[in-house]
Amino acid sequence: MKKLLTLVLALAMLVSVCAFSASAEELVDGKFAETKHITVEIYNRNNDGGTDPTNNVYTDYIKQGMLEQHNVEVEFVSIGRWTEVDDMNTALASGDAPDVCVTYSYPTIAKYAQMGGIVNLNDIGGKKLEEYKDILPNLWALLGDNNIYYDQDPESGNLWAVEAKLADNARINTFIRKDWLDKLELPLPTTEEEFYNCLVAFRDNAETLLGADAEKMVPYSTSYDIGWRNDLLFMAYVPDDVKDEELFIHSADDRHLLYPNYKEGVRVLNKWYNEGLVWKDFAEYASDSAHEDDMMKAGFVGAFQHNWDYPYRGGDDSIQANLQRNVGEDAAYIAVDTFVNDAGVHRKFLAQPIDRKVFFPATNDEPIASLLYLDFISDPETIAFLQLGKEGESYNAVEGGFEKLATTGDWLQNSLNNIDYTITVNGLYLGDATEVTTALGYAPVSSDLISIANAAAKADGRVAGYFNVGDIEAEQEYGTQLPTFRDTLLNKAVTAPVEEFDAVYDQGMQDYLDNGGQASIDERTQKLADVYGYTAE
Amino acid sequence: MSNNAVTPQARVGTKQANFKAYMRRYGTLYLLLILPVAFFIIFRYAPMAYILSAFKENNIFKAPWELPWAKNNGFEWFIKAFNDRTFINALRNTLTLNLLDLVCGFPAPILLALMLNELTFKRFKKITQTVLYMPHFLSWIIISGLALRLLASNDGLINILYKRIMGNPDASIPFMSQNSWWVGTYVVLGIWKEAGWGTIIYLAALTGISPELYEAAAVDGAGRFKRIWHVTLPGLRPTIITLLIMNLGRILGSEFDRPLALSNKLVTDVSHVISIYVYQRGLQNSQFSLSTAVGLFQSIVGVIFLVAANSLAKRMGERGIM
Repeated sequence: MKKLLTLVLALAMLVSVCAFSASAEELVDGKFAETKHITVEIYNRNNDGGTDPTNNVYTDYIKQGMLEQHNVEVEFVSIGRWTEVDDMNTALASGDAPDVCVTYSYPTIAKYAQMGGIVNLNDIGGKKLEEYKDILPNLWALLGDNNIYYDQDPESGNLWAVEAKLADNARINTFIRKDWLDKLELPLPTTEEEFYNCLVAFRDNAETLLGADAEKMVPYSTSYDIGWRNDLLFMAYVPDDVKDEELFIHSADDRHLLYPNYKEGVRVLNKWYNEGLVWKDFAEYASDSAHEDDMMKAGFVGAFQHNWDYPYRGGDDSIQANLQRNVGEDAAYIAVDTFVNDAGVHRKFLAQPIDRKVFFPATNDEPIASLLYLDFISDPETIAFLQLGKEGESYNAVEGGFEKLATTGDWLQNSLNNIDYTITVNGLYLGDATEVTTALGYAPVSSDLISIANAAAKADGRVAGYFNVGDIEAEQEYGTQLPTFRDTLLNKAVTAPVEEFDAVYDQGMQDYLDNGGQASIDERTQKLADVYGYTAE
Repeated sequence: MSNNAVTPQARVGTKQANFKAYMRRYGTLYLLLILPVAFFIIFRYAPMAYILSAFKENNIFKAPWELPWAKNNGFEWFIKAFNDRTFINALRNTLTLNLLDLVCGFPAPILLALMLNELTFKRFKKITQTVLYMPHFLSWIIISGLALRLLASNDGLINILYKRIMGNPDASIPFMSQNSWWVGTYVVLGIWKEAGWGTIIYLAALTGISPELYEAAAVDGAGRFKRIWHVTLPGLRPTIITLLIMNLGRILGSEFDRPLALSNKLVTDVSHVISIYVYQRGLQNSQFSLSTAVGLFQSIVGVIFLVAANSLAKRMGERGIM
């Protein structure tokens, strides 16, 4: 009797569990029968006058949409934007990471995947990601196979993350003071030599250009991040016929440090530095980036390289707007496409169309609901709302696009175009309206300056081919310390006396190679041979 | 406190009665002790079990006792660290900076306390003390910002003045950009920040010196310096020895925010210390076993120094701290 009772009870329990799980997991028209709950990471930028990143009109839209379309409750969890890798590490290590996570650092994901802390997207409920394609039409349309399978291990098929789409791969520009060129009757420089002559002219005419502040003249400025801030100059020294395979082998560093002939580009900057053309104290201000911006805003800086839209970012508080207030209406930084390589091409090495990496930590109990979240956030309608806001409040429709309005209060976007919410895409993604909207997106900065900059940043761009050879273990091991060695090498080399340049550079490069650089090159060479059968001639 | 000691009368009677009487009298004090002891057990001793992860495979999601041993009989991470040039450099830099801090920074508060002690105007002394304490409350991030504006090679205030004085626009002192100058800046800023705060403990010890000793010395004809030498310093000696021993125990410990904030890419050869190594390789790179191993090594060296300094002090006739 007792046995029978136990059996009946056990059966009843089993049946109820089955019934429960079947009904709960079943999607009817993309909706769960029972309300699911997921948490989603959102960067907190702590910007002045910003809104609560976890609760504002944009998150309301997302929450409402997810509930209506998929019956999924969404809760946002904030992670510091400027400490994201550290915060993410802490959250993952303590099991507190949100269900949907995003980071710029793939090595972080790979590291935790090795320890069993990340969901394998190719093994959700025993199914491959492809089998969910039907319920993820927007995600697939936005990212395509390239971004979805970008990080798939070629051997095991494991997939720890999908790569967001980089909608606009404009990267870096050279900017120069147009009003100074006009004053000195110089044309826009089109070669390195002309650019150099402009810098010399700035230096020698400091009194004319700056009057009493002549001492503060900085013809060309850079920061300690030499590799990023002088990339176009250095890339002009990379031979034009270099193969994609060679670039891949030498791409441990996202600043292109290991690209062939890089040293010769750095040599030019070293020469400029020793001729007094470069900001003298750039290396010392490693922990204080606002100082350089302030010099630009005050009008002391003649030229520099930076992110393609850097001086225009921030509307009224942008470098350009400040410059005009401080110096005069005609003062302007304009983008110039100056540096040409051995084939006479204005070569720029642009990034693969990948951006942030989206992943689910192993503590995620709702991977399917989370996938649906990614689909919802990739819906063009969702993207348009998040990027633009509400007509009349945050934008107006104009011919061929949209003009965004300066907003405060509710409709303010904490990040440019709300990229922190559109985690699967970075950059305006509005179809045909994108170009006009981009150019109008920097008011009060003139849209002409933006159009020129956007075109210049992509002219003669080359996207080096991608080879999926799986994780590079050496970079997981040394990835966090290599940038320090790179920066040390470049800072020392640029500030060295001309006659010591070779010795300093070679020593620094040796340190870089000894502390993980060579291991990366060797592993990439080996894996490229294993997977693609490539061997150098 | 002496009247609280167990009186001879209480010793009469059985041991049990003794204990009862003792507990009735001091039980509440022991009750008060429960919280701090619990704190130390839970937050200081229990976590030590995780030292084991220095000898185990790297995995943050499992407790170290569930994990297999690391390679090379569990010493994989130690071997790795000592084969890593970055670590050896960090070790050397940590030792150098800490030794310099000790040699230059340790006597500073003593001298300052002696000087403060000689001040006769009460109010002036109080104000001076307060001003001296203030830098202690500034974070290194703020100090590094101040330091840059003052010391930068070209647009730092001091170098601007220096150029004017020298009449040469190219003259400058590389406070922040040359290895040896940077080390000097690092040490001096450390003294500037902490010396004032460090005087507190010495000033407290000074109040314990009997004024009669000074009067006697004065009667014997001792001048101001003689009195400092023969009365004040001997009075401070136990405090100095105690602090010295404790400082030696921290010889391999390293501050994090100080070198990180003051450093720049030109001086990483001398500014990259163990704490930054642990941060980069451990926290940023999720190599928890490696950083535990490094931390354990730091602690062991610290304990060795502590014990050695302590026994040396004892052999020299001091009380020591253990």
